[in-house]
Amino acid sequence: MASITLKNVTKSWGGKPAVSDINLDVPDGEFLVLLGPSGCGKSTLLRMLAGLESVSQGEIHLDGRRVEHLPPSARDMAFVFQSYALYPHMTVRRNITFPLIMRQFHWWFHLPVIGGLAKRRIERSPEVTGLVERTAKILALTEMLDRYPRTLSGGQRQRVALGRAMVRHPEVFLMDEPLSNLDAKLRTSMRAEITKLHREVGGTFVYVTHDQVEAMTMGTMIALMRSGVVQQFGRPRDIYTNPANTYVARFIGTPPMNLIRARVEAGELRIGETGFAMPAHVSTAALRGQKEVLVGLRPESLAIVAAGSPATIAGEVAMVEHIGAESLVSVKLRHAATAHEEEEQEQSAVMATAPGYSDLKVAEPVAIRLTLSDTVFFSAETGERLAA
Amino acid sequence: MRGIWQHRLRMLAVLALLVAAVFPLYWMLVTSLTASSDLFAAAPHMLPSLAELGIYREAFLNIPVATWLTNSAIVATGTMVLSIALGTLPAYALSRFRFRGKGLLGFGLFATQMLPEAMLVVPLYAIFGQLSLLNTLAGLILANTAFTVPVITWILKGAIDGVPIDVEEAARIDGCSQIDIVLAVVIPLIAPTLAAAGVIAFFHGWNEYVFAQTLVSSQELRTASVGLAGFVGELSTPVHSVMAVGIIYTLPAVIFYLFVQRYVVAGLTAGSVKG
Repeated sequence: MASITLKNVTKSWGGKPAVSDINLDVPDGEFLVLLGPSGCGKSTLLRMLAGLESVSQGEIHLDGRRVEHLPPSARDMAFVFQSYALYPHMTVRRNITFPLIMRQFHWWFHLPVIGGLAKRRIERSPEVTGLVERTAKILALTEMLDRYPRTLSGGQRQRVALGRAMVRHPEVFLMDEPLSNLDAKLRTSMRAEITKLHREVGGTFVYVTHDQVEAMTMGTMIALMRSGVVQQFGRPRDIYTNPANTYVARFIGTPPMNLIRARVEAGELRIGETGFAMPAHVSTAALRGQKEVLVGLRPESLAIVAAGSPATIAGEVAMVEHIGAESLVSVKLRHAATAHEEEEQEQSAVMATAPGYSDLKVAEPVAIRLTLSDTVFFSAETGERLAA
Repeated sequence: MRGIWQHRLRMLAVLALLVAAVFPLYWMLVTSLTASSDLFAAAPHMLPSLAELGIYREAFLNIPVATWLTNSAIVATGTMVLSIALGTLPAYALSRFRFRGKGLLGFGLFATQMLPEAMLVVPLYAIFGQLSLLNTLAGLILANTAFTVPVITWILKGAIDGVPIDVEEAARIDGCSQIDIVLAVVIPLIAPTLAAAGVIAFFHGWNEYVFAQTLVSSQELRTASVGLAGFVGELSTPVHSVMAVGIIYTLPAVIFYLFVQRYVVAGLTAGSVKG
């Protein structure tokens, strides 16, 4: 088990930074998720941790020991690849044993007959057999130990890859989108498996994904990245409730946080034509000098009420999605605007949740009631969160 | 209906190709087993005469066929082993590493194939003379290897390109050095292509004539290709002896090919479909 510290870690490709000035401090035993869209540098960062990619600048410390100059094998980290990267010419047993064989490896293990016998001897030693079989039992692979990877399903291959990582008892487990090749159902069950593995095996986990649901459900810490820069690093709940900027607000949560444009006028908040009293949790100091702010509200903080209700914002239903226990309703605001970058044309639709199977119809006039006590305020200019 | 005819036509075409390929061998066998008096008969014999089988015994008794075959086998095997050993690492480097002059090196390897053997005989003769490699099988192996290594390097490079880089990185994480990765992971994964490349090198060594004729002069070190050509005299050629030795010369190569063809076919088609 080990803590990981990254100090000013930078990676450049031909002078162009892919990862810029990353500073992270991950305590021992945490499950850190590196989250972000494709090309944000999260995999590059993971590969630098593993030693598969060199570090252009900065330091990587593993339990206080500098490791960025060490080869991958000297860092005591296991890596689970997106493509599983099993050795196709070896049985499941040999795949799992391989890291243990490499620990006792001599050059003459490459010789045809003698090498084969030596490797088999290690593989069949009681210590290694016991370890491999225990690992196989945890991962339900016992029946498949003598099969080749090509005869296994995607989920089974992924478990073999996990087994190969576990058997070494590494200080750190690194995982690069290990579930992205699996179907939705299997992904959910493997998600639970990996979380269980973290609980049972211990060790520090670093997990790369672009799926924020995976990040929120598995991670004990999340580092959300964009264009090679960490946008926010913290506990999932913190990131969900107090996003550092509008990018984080829109990235985390399904559906994402609504960002509604508002004006601050005489200590009052004006959204469209409606005025609201400033919520109690917001200090006047935080909003000083701000004429226009972005009000961040999660869909569950927006309630759909009958059109014309007092202290509401008027709008009309733009779309209804029924997802079972609740319905997602997109409401086009009549007099207010939103700041959702990804919406190029419609700059006034917010997302709200309605309990059960909603009977709302498209184009039906409604009103939105805001639970302002849950609001997060962002600067309209910089997109950064304004201190509460 | 059209499908059946297409199929029949295709089969006919395959059959014609097969006959064109096999008939010379068959004719060699028939000629070797034809009595000397009937060799130039107006109506040629299409079936071999088993009574003439003695010619094969005579070939071994009167002609040093066994020595020639042994020499050919040594040269072919040596060429194969050396070519694979020398071709694998450059193939890996060309496939995986980025270095200055990589393109030039690749082109240079190709360029060696543009030069005919006959053109290189004289300089090679001079170099081998200085290195005391003339009239040795080792020299012959070396000369042949120089010609096969570039081809084999390119064939193996193609196969190594197809090995997922993730598998190699997994091996690095698991504690393999660069050479361990090549020996323990890459080579087993490209084994079929390696077999195909081995066959190419083996046959090059087995069939080679120009170097074997020029660089080796001693009778005991003659390879079968040179020995066989030696039958062709200025005044007469013992046709059925030539054919008998020809058959003996061909058979080991055919047997070798049958032995490895399973891997060769797998190697030549490897990577053509998603695995």
